[in-house]
Amino acid sequence: MSTTTEKARGPRKAGAAPSPAPGGSRGRTPSMGVQNAAGWLFSTPFLVLFTVFMAFPILATLVMSFTDFGLRNVTRPWEANFIGFENYVNLFGDEKFLKSLFNTGYFVVVGVPLTIGIGLVVAVLLNNGIDRARTFFRVGLYAPVVTTIVAVAVVWRFVLDPSDGLIAGLFSEVGWTAPDFLGSEALAMPSLIVMAVWRNVGTVMVLFIAGLQAIPTEVREAAKLDGAGVWQEFRSITVPLLRPTLLYATVITTIGYLNVFEEPFVMTQGGPSDSTLTVSLNMYREGFNFFHMGYASAMAYVLFVVIMGITVLQLRLLKDNTK
Amino acid sequence: MSRIARTAPAGIALALAVTLSACGSSGGDVAADEKQTLTVWAMGAEGEKLADVAEVYEKANPNITVKVTPIGWDVAHQKLVSAAAAGTLPDVAQMGGSYLGEFAELGVLEPVDTEVFDKKDFFPAGWEQGEVDGTAYGVPWYVDTRVLYYRTDLAEKAGVTKAPADWKGLKDLAGAYQEKAGTKWGLSIQPSGLDTVQNFYSFLYSAGGEIVNDKGEAVIDSPEAVKALKEYGSYFDEGLSNKSVQPGYDVVKDFGNGRVPMFFGGPWHVTLLDEGQPQIKGKWAIANVPADASSTSMAGGSSLVVSKDSEHKAAATEFITYLTDTEGQADWYERTKDLPANTSAWESGALADDADLQIFKKQMDTAKSSPSLANWTEITDKVDQAIAKVTQGKASAEDALKTAQSEIEGLVKQ
Repeated sequence: MSTTTEKARGPRKAGAAPSPAPGGSRGRTPSMGVQNAAGWLFSTPFLVLFTVFMAFPILATLVMSFTDFGLRNVTRPWEANFIGFENYVNLFGDEKFLKSLFNTGYFVVVGVPLTIGIGLVVAVLLNNGIDRARTFFRVGLYAPVVTTIVAVAVVWRFVLDPSDGLIAGLFSEVGWTAPDFLGSEALAMPSLIVMAVWRNVGTVMVLFIAGLQAIPTEVREAAKLDGAGVWQEFRSITVPLLRPTLLYATVITTIGYLNVFEEPFVMTQGGPSDSTLTVSLNMYREGFNFFHMGYASAMAYVLFVVIMGITVLQLRLLKDNTK
Repeated sequence: MSRIARTAPAGIALALAVTLSACGSSGGDVAADEKQTLTVWAMGAEGEKLADVAEVYEKANPNITVKVTPIGWDVAHQKLVSAAAAGTLPDVAQMGGSYLGEFAELGVLEPVDTEVFDKKDFFPAGWEQGEVDGTAYGVPWYVDTRVLYYRTDLAEKAGVTKAPADWKGLKDLAGAYQEKAGTKWGLSIQPSGLDTVQNFYSFLYSAGGEIVNDKGEAVIDSPEAVKALKEYGSYFDEGLSNKSVQPGYDVVKDFGNGRVPMFFGGPWHVTLLDEGQPQIKGKWAIANVPADASSTSMAGGSSLVVSKDSEHKAAATEFITYLTDTEGQADWYERTKDLPANTSAWESGALADDADLQIFKKQMDTAKSSPSLANWTEITDKVDQAIAKVTQGKASAEDALKTAQSEIEGLVKQ
């Protein structure tokens, strides 16, 4: 085998060695230099976009987080002062920031299990349970994902409106008064969580359906032959084999919810009394309403560290179990 | 050099990129009678209508091409800030009163030529809106103020025939509406959320209070302010106003169906009611803000500014003169129903004869504009929070304003 390869190579080598004529070099693969150049050429669009829109802002934000960058520095950035870790130190004495951190945590701790749980159940039902109108349900459940948040907000405001909303109407049918969902400090956040879950279950569901369909039918059949019931099959076959998907879905949902911005932005603006102020919304208001760019940048980096920490933790915890 | 440096960082208003652009611009100014193109940014409905006016102007001044770019209000602020950062502001731009402090701080605005534009020609509040630290940066283009809108048909049912003149009258009417005319609420004012302060101004200014006084000191814990906030809060305590926060709430519909019989509204509400709620035509009226020490409302509106980097300042000044002189202002009212900022425009036609417009004019004569401070949004946010605490029954007016006072003191000192 090896000899034939050598033989096959032999004449080419011989032919190429004495004369670097065009005929000889044609048989060769393009030189490394050309290959590299082509590689760089094809990567350029990505590299340029990445540098301009990702790397540069990320770095600039980091630099800014150590300055007192404010409104006047938008046109005179060189006047911003380096203040070391002052922004970071201030953050942890800032009641509003701590509250937004707590609110974000609340959103994640309640929202993620609900989204993953409901998404999984729905996916399993749609994969085996419901035979008729399966496509209809899949599309229906996925529709909220692709709907713009503004349209979603209009619908949910109508649902939650305490005076003539959908729920208020149902309540008054039986003679009750509907609670003031978005106007109450206790209920505003849960209302937003319900809305977010409704919006995100579709994404998780699609992931799970894909995962479920990757489970070989033989495994299920074997389990059935061994007398496994529906619940046992779910517990012993579906969940373990879905674990990679579960891990992925949990991680992206958590990251998404840690960044939650749209729901409080369009529904409550962080109110009432900051009860739905999340870190992202707080950051947006500090940066673009009040022009505390340095402070907002520091907030962004704290959020980044939190997200990274939680993601690493999740990957560790959930991955180890698969072994 | 200047072109590349200007366009490169346009997208993101970030530190390092901006450094480059600072050396863009400048260069010789173009005389007004030379051939040139004037770039103008205007917002919302004004942006659309201004293009028509520009066409008329171009006919009379063939050497000038006016390029009007309409910008949505929702993105206006962001676009202006990034343009300021990148050094790509248009020659002329429309700016809301609340923006001027910020942009003056950015150092991108050309001071108004007071030889050409005279303070005396405009409503005082309109002019003051364009002033930052005693220097005028904006020529008032149109003004607005809030007045009381009330349902006359329901008031009759409640046994009231006159508009409320003072705070007591207002509250009595609110109660009467609820009890005798069966309305859900008595008066629509905002309990909390962004810009609640705009509703509160009618009370604050009428009581003689202010957030920041002429000397730039925070005075939001003054006895007048406390009195105003107590009065404001009492509407929620007594169930006359809706405590529930409804972001994006539009009062027009509820005014039409009688759920809400009174609210404080601007001139644009006349059109909104005429077009959106024709069934109540003739069944509502406007009145001046009910008085305490005085009947003083907030002043709003827009000014026209010239960019410091503009090379067409002479032509820009002429164009702004055209828009803000007596004729231009009357014409603008015909087109948009925006209230003229130039008081002489009010002396003829509909502006002089219409009774409703006279109510706006009377309110405008005494209306107060907010100081043009760079961090005004942040300052009013503290007042919003104080109002929220009171309307949600979490703090007394005294305590809430004391907190706001100390926070605002920290902000005005900067």
